[in-house]
Amino acid sequence: MKSRRSPLEPEKTPSKRSYVAPATPNTSETRKKWRNAKKRSYYKKLVYDGGVFEVGDDVYVKRRDDAESDDDDPEAEECRICFEIGSSIMIECDDCLGGFHLRCLKPPLRKVPEGDWICEFCKARKLGKKVKLPRPSDGKKLRRTAREKLLSSDLWAARIESLWKEPDGTYWLKCRWYVIPEETTAGRQPHNLRRELYLTTHLSDIEMESVLRHCYVMNPREFAQANNEGDDVFYCEYEYDVRWHSFKRLAEVADTDNDEEAGNDEDWKYSIDSDCDSEDDSDFDDETVGKFSCHDTPTHELAANSRRGRIFGLHKIGLKKIPEHVRLHKPTDLERAKSMLLLTALPKTLPCRTKEMEEITLFIKGAICEDHCLGRCLYIHGVPGTGKTMTVLTVLKNLRIEVDAGKMRPYCFVEVNGLKLSSPENIYRVIYEALSGHRVGWKKALNILNELFSEGTKIGKEENRPCVLLIDELDLLLTRNQSVLYNIFDWPTKPDSKLIVIGIANTMDLPEKFLPRISSRMGIQRLCFGPYNYQQLQEIIESRLKGIDAFEEQAIEFASRKVAAMSGDARRALEICRRAAEAADYRLKQLAKSSKSTLRQSLPQGKHLVGMNDIEAAVHDVFQAPHIQIMKTSSRWSKIMLAAMVHELYRSGLCEVTFEKLATTIRSLCSSNRELQPGWDDLLKVGCKLGECRIILSEEGAKHRLQRMQLNFPSDDVAFALKDCPEIPWLSKYL
Amino acid sequence: MASEKALDFLRRRLCDSSFVYSAFKSTPAGNYSKLKFLISNTITEACNNSVLLLGPRGCGKGAVVDMILEELKGEFPEIISVVRLNGLLHSDDNFAVKEIARQLCMEHKLLFSKMASSDDNSQFMIDMLRECGLAHKMIIFVLDEFDLFTQGKQRLLYSLLDAMQTLTSQSVVIGISFRLDADQLLEKRVRSRFSHRKLLFTPLSTEDMQSFDVKPKNILGDKKFKEILDVLSSVDNTISNICRFLYHAISWMHFESGLLTLDGFKNALSCMQRQPMLDKLQDASILEFYILVCMNRLGSREQNSFNFNSIMKEYKAIQDAYKTSDNYSWSVCLRAFEHLIERELISFLDNRMRSLSIEYRPVRLLLSSQELYQGLKSNAFCPAILLKLLNHESYR
Repeated sequence: MKSRRSPLEPEKTPSKRSYVAPATPNTSETRKKWRNAKKRSYYKKLVYDGGVFEVGDDVYVKRRDDAESDDDDPEAEECRICFEIGSSIMIECDDCLGGFHLRCLKPPLRKVPEGDWICEFCKARKLGKKVKLPRPSDGKKLRRTAREKLLSSDLWAARIESLWKEPDGTYWLKCRWYVIPEETTAGRQPHNLRRELYLTTHLSDIEMESVLRHCYVMNPREFAQANNEGDDVFYCEYEYDVRWHSFKRLAEVADTDNDEEAGNDEDWKYSIDSDCDSEDDSDFDDETVGKFSCHDTPTHELAANSRRGRIFGLHKIGLKKIPEHVRLHKPTDLERAKSMLLLTALPKTLPCRTKEMEEITLFIKGAICEDHCLGRCLYIHGVPGTGKTMTVLTVLKNLRIEVDAGKMRPYCFVEVNGLKLSSPENIYRVIYEALSGHRVGWKKALNILNELFSEGTKIGKEENRPCVLLIDELDLLLTRNQSVLYNIFDWPTKPDSKLIVIGIANTMDLPEKFLPRISSRMGIQRLCFGPYNYQQLQEIIESRLKGIDAFEEQAIEFASRKVAAMSGDARRALEICRRAAEAADYRLKQLAKSSKSTLRQSLPQGKHLVGMNDIEAAVHDVFQAPHIQIMKTSSRWSKIMLAAMVHELYRSGLCEVTFEKLATTIRSLCSSNRELQPGWDDLLKVGCKLGECRIILSEEGAKHRLQRMQLNFPSDDVAFALKDCPEIPWLSKYL
Repeated sequence: MASEKALDFLRRRLCDSSFVYSAFKSTPAGNYSKLKFLISNTITEACNNSVLLLGPRGCGKGAVVDMILEELKGEFPEIISVVRLNGLLHSDDNFAVKEIARQLCMEHKLLFSKMASSDDNSQFMIDMLRECGLAHKMIIFVLDEFDLFTQGKQRLLYSLLDAMQTLTSQSVVIGISFRLDADQLLEKRVRSRFSHRKLLFTPLSTEDMQSFDVKPKNILGDKKFKEILDVLSSVDNTISNICRFLYHAISWMHFESGLLTLDGFKNALSCMQRQPMLDKLQDASILEFYILVCMNRLGSREQNSFNFNSIMKEYKAIQDAYKTSDNYSWSVCLRAFEHLIERELISFLDNRMRSLSIEYRPVRLLLSSQELYQGLKSNAFCPAILLKLLNHESYR
């Protein structure tokens, strides 16, 4: 450990890389190279010095100044006790990362134990004892593995971004560096794992010469699964921005966590358009970002919310330090249940919609697979929360797998949401941008699209692919003369449009509401997503909660029955369950807090299931209007006024009452019950307050005595709320 | 000097919402702890949430949100960024998105351009949500006057709530509204995406109110003071109303002794309970009273629509019958009539017949007969005949 860098020198990190400078081609040379870049030959895979290197691999990179020490580069690690490299199984201490033979331990272990294991030296050190590590016998130097060198910054790691051969025959690679926590400005944070690395945004070109060998940097999921990959395994969850010294989660990591769909369509289009299929798209993005940040000073700063400035501006956002609560938090069962019930957590499989999925698959396949691709329309309708969009997206994802496998013709996919367009005409622009990547005004986009779909002109050089257009919230595209809808549904009928339109909306008879020429074009093929019944809802919830013991069986059934009876909205059902879990969690934590302060007794863990009561409370919360509560706690005269309104309602039989009449009633009620007489203007004020909360409906106050008022809730609710009011017992007489 | 200082101190306290509403913090089952639990849980578990705070005005909805945000900012520095929108200002979707972009730029010290289109802005918002989610940062949207965002197509709410359906984003939408049916105003697709958490804020009950008033201890025990408070709370029992009352009362503080007196509280109460209609009647002229009484007589005769001419006819009939000294010419009466319209004691029946001259347009009386009676009685110069005329008709 001769040159451990102090973590407190921020400038060091970027400048450190310039040590490599002799190895990188100097700038003038590079520029020349760029000009005749044709002569460079790029590779995806390269066999160099006996190793196979691929784009996206992680490698150790030699530092030039300790090049002499790389002659002894042990692939395997020595045991810390006997200092031999044996073939027998070794175990790794989770604290100091030292390796031990199972047989060398005292007492020897039979097999690798489950969970964390800490060696006796570390245990002793933690207890505060002085520890004497066994030293190797004389004449044998303690050899350090590449991993140890890396973690003490004597060696670097990098990810290969591209590989090429220069015209002069040397091999080069562009790489993104990894840094160890000590090299960041924040230093090693207490929650950092021993094997943790950060991916930086720093890119540089190095020669293949300096590459040592492979290492394996994994994302958290892979890392958790890896158990026998050897010593060169590292953990990487965050990206470190060398310019702003800030951390950010790696986007791919978050994405792969649950096969997320947002933005996938975009990626996909690119990967189809670009010829190198295997290049991961997010890498591509990152590279451009990285290039941006490599410039020391941007020529002019761009506004972050404008189109061009976005990438650059957003790069600034990052945490200076990774908060501890994110890493150290171990979720309990309830919390895991909550996160599974989130609307965002998309399930791996989609239960209960197999029939509809088949139908959509058939529809798209039927349209695409025939040699001459026919334009078609499909209209999907169903109440909110029945999984319409999700089903379509899942189908398209499955089809994409088939396309990748070569079983289907490639096609492009455009998704538009009617509610997210600022005006219906903008849909042309969005479609054109998605197809070609250019931005034009909507009128021009309409012209181009017209040519494209009706005459079959080509956008790019190659032949047009079939295009699947998914329009969510279709009813929002309605304009006065319905021209937008007409155009969209007219294109598929053109002979070589190759356009397939899938429209999604809520109402069943939407096509019939349009002009006949539109409904005749779109209304041929329809698919209905019925509301879920309670078994389906139950299946959905249970499929999400598989393996988590947090809910009682009946509780789920109760929730799903309740929702199925009301709306059949899956989102609603999930929310209710989440709400109930939250309530249970809240209760549990309050309990823990109070018991900690009084008795410090440990609660029986895991015995807190979400029960019927919680679901009941959540359902009540969702479906119940809060007016009764407000009536109960409202002021004295508002109560009297409400009672008078009910009284008046029964007396006259009319639901409406003018303010003048109401005021006289109130005054007579007050005088007969020896109550203070309220003034007219006070009553008016009270009436306005009630009207504001929409407990009563009233006209504007300027009409004064002629203002008409009406109860907004059934009179029984008022009677229920005010029946046994302790302050004004006489009210119940009039209810 | 000491009394001035005390006055200053009291005023500052009453205006400081975090002191006034601090009582919320102590109750464990209250909205404060629930909302705080919700938001801090959202931070630690990296998920999205949406919640509606409902309750009449002046119950401390906004104050509780402010206090919680303040506290959480201390607990999780750098993590929280708050975007505040008000329905009165930002109910237009495009403008609201722009405002969101502006506030996010401010918060993260980015350059903001006014020229960006609304598409760009909404794209920026979504990107920002994603980036912040990746950096474990949380965006809290506080939508005040939530009910006003539900006008139109609700594109803003839809895109906000829909953006929250991606895993990478981390945000909370807090809606504040005094309309109890605010969640019913949401369009069905928006409602389906909304997570239906509602926290209800209720006004204080009387016991709460007494515990709330700990400062002027010297008078609290007084029975009269209790009466005053009762009267006050029978109209409006929200916290902000009481604060306003106390503020008034403090300004009546007795300077020599430096004590708050009962008279001060009484004065404050009368300040709070202004009766604008009666006040308007206070300084009306005799002729105006005549006109009002005539209108009342016409109205009680089930004559629904009347204009200046029919009022004049009635007025003339009264003058002929009783031969009072208050016989004025037609044009003087018209001026008095116009004056009454300006003071909104009477108003036109509708705005339709603008082309008609004033004397032919139908009018209506905005005062009830009881109010008019009270007004007449409290006016010292009012001739007895007027009271009689009024009484004669309205059996009082």
